[in-house]
Amino acid sequence: MTQRRFKTAYFVIPAVVFMIAVYALPLAGVALQSVTDADGGSWSLAGYRDIFSSTLFYKVAWSTFTISLLSTTVSLSLAFPLAYFLSKQRPKVRAVLMIFVLVPFWTSVLVKAFAFTILLGQSGIINDALAFFGLGPLPLLFNKAGVIVGMSHFLIPFMVFPILTSLMAQPPELRRAASIMGAGRLRIFFRITLPLCLPGIMTGTLLVLILSLGFFVVPALLGGRQDMMLSNLVDFYTRETLNWQAASTLAVILFSFAMIVAYTLARVPGGSSLLGGQDR
Amino acid sequence: MVKVQLNDVEKRYGPTVALAPTNLSVTEGEFLTLLGPSGSGKTTLLNIVSGMTEPTGGEVWIDGVDVTNVPSAKRGLGMVFQSYALMPHMTIFQNIAFPLQIRGLPREEIRRKVEDVLELVQLPHVAGRKPKELSGGQQQRIALARCIVYDPSIILMDEPLGALDKKLREQMQLEIKRLQVQLGITMLYVTHDQEEAMTMSDRIILMNNGSAEQIGTPNELYFQPNSSFVADFIGQSNLLDATVAGEDRVRLVNGEIITVRHDAPLSHGQSVKVLLRPEVLHLREIDAGGNRLDATIRGSVISGSTVKHFLELDGGTSVLVEELSNGTNAAPAPGDRVTISWSVGQARVLPA
Ligand SMILES: Nc1ncnc2c1ncn2[C@@H]1O[C@H](COP(=O)(O)OP(=O)(O)OP(=O)(O)O)[C@@H](O)[C@H]1O
Ligand SMILES: [Mg+2]
Repeated sequence: MTQRRFKTAYFVIPAVVFMIAVYALPLAGVALQSVTDADGGSWSLAGYRDIFSSTLFYKVAWSTFTISLLSTTVSLSLAFPLAYFLSKQRPKVRAVLMIFVLVPFWTSVLVKAFAFTILLGQSGIINDALAFFGLGPLPLLFNKAGVIVGMSHFLIPFMVFPILTSLMAQPPELRRAASIMGAGRLRIFFRITLPLCLPGIMTGTLLVLILSLGFFVVPALLGGRQDMMLSNLVDFYTRETLNWQAASTLAVILFSFAMIVAYTLARVPGGSSLLGGQDR
Repeated sequence: MVKVQLNDVEKRYGPTVALAPTNLSVTEGEFLTLLGPSGSGKTTLLNIVSGMTEPTGGEVWIDGVDVTNVPSAKRGLGMVFQSYALMPHMTIFQNIAFPLQIRGLPREEIRRKVEDVLELVQLPHVAGRKPKELSGGQQQRIALARCIVYDPSIILMDEPLGALDKKLREQMQLEIKRLQVQLGITMLYVTHDQEEAMTMSDRIILMNNGSAEQIGTPNELYFQPNSSFVADFIGQSNLLDATVAGEDRVRLVNGEIITVRHDAPLSHGQSVKVLLRPEVLHLREIDAGGNRLDATIRGSVISGSTVKHFLELDGGTSVLVEELSNGTNAAPAPGDRVTISWSVGQARVLPA
């Protein structure tokens, strides 16, 4: 590292101090707590043994995993066409449309979760409308459907932004050149637009997947008993049973899980940008 | 054989006329250049041919087919962009193979063609690299190779060398010209650099304000410009204001009368411009026929092979004289009185 590059390191000191104080230290505390026995005395892996032998953990881990994957898939499949559409608009139109993407982004997730209970409930707007046509009612609340709707709604902007950015960064000449060479729309999309947008898709997917792994409010308010996620289980241990060791252990497991996801995605083609690599 | 034929094509953006109705035909194997200042409609004309801009009037014919309403992808053209437009995620091989895959060629034939064309542009060793691993000039050659490889009926280039430095640009001009001649490529080329146009073109269309000012060979544009715009744009020129003072004679603003050459008949008293190329002027009297003017030296500059003398005619008009330098040119000092002269017929009358 050259002298000059090193000098700018001063600028990050405040952020580093802040992160150490409010993030790294507490996290280390949690990690430590997960490997000491309940009385806070000697080293012990009892916490992990208990967690890994509890069927509740596997059930919750599995539902965390499936819910995260599902809401990421839903977000991606809704966000990509949206980002693609936005990228094709004139700048002014796009700026206006972006507001609609940003509004849910600016609204508290708690407020939105309550709003969804009104929308999705047994006598909510959707089921009322269905009843009007003699249909339904559909079970949309206090189950996986509710959780995924609520989570995706929150997560879509996180998916739209990186994808839109990478779509907009593509020079329009590339598509024009391909078109003049005789390429049709589908070929241009699959051979040029999509591969060049892969880093954006990867960034969005990672962001959304990791955010969903740690979701708490939405499953608590919109999910049923079956749809508990790991964060809810952590909450359960700390508030209901006051089992801090189990809670810490779970937190460490969740953290490691997120790390593994990030690392795996960074290995996928187009994903190296996640770790600061240059993909093109 | 006519490759491209434009019949009265025009393009308007609201009240702006980007291209006034223009007729043009490009013959097979010809290197035709659209030359002109910024905003003169060169890109507009090129893009009407490529199909990226829809004309507001007229017809575009390519290879005897009316393609006015045919999309770019179906026109069978090649185009080289100033930004090269190589696909950053593909290797050089994949980039060049792309148009061949579109045409559904078998794998083996694609491989052979790509290798051949890389040989042709003298970059056989870069097949496995990504575009960003090549220099600007190399990327440019790959962009050209990607066109050549599928043998389009015409190759369009919009200021392809604009991003390169002067030396590389001159090298690439010769390279492109070599390939164009060797392969018999029909080329429609855009540049605003008149030297580039003169070096490469079989014919030049000089554009001005959305219309073709003059179409001709580089020689015609240089020696027989039909307007002062053309004379001014191509090469260096002295354009002197004058009025017609009789058959073959005009009177300059300072009252001097000189003999001129002209194509169109002149009417007495008409205002005209007299074109005198700097290199036809001499700082001594070479002709007793009356083609001489008195002037004062304002300064001289030696630029390698030539010496430029900046003069002021009696009456205040500035004139540039360019002579070959031979190291022994008697260097006149500023303020010296001189007589400039030229052979009869070198002064051309243009409409004012
Ligand atoms: N999309 C557009 N909307 C409105 N006017 C346009 C548009 N595109 C081009 N023009 C106008 O048409 C005229 C010709 O533009 P064109 O791009 O053909 O010029 P050019 O000769 O290629 O110039 P340059 O050397 O700067 O590239 C210009 O006056 C330009 O402002
Ligand atoms: Mg242009």
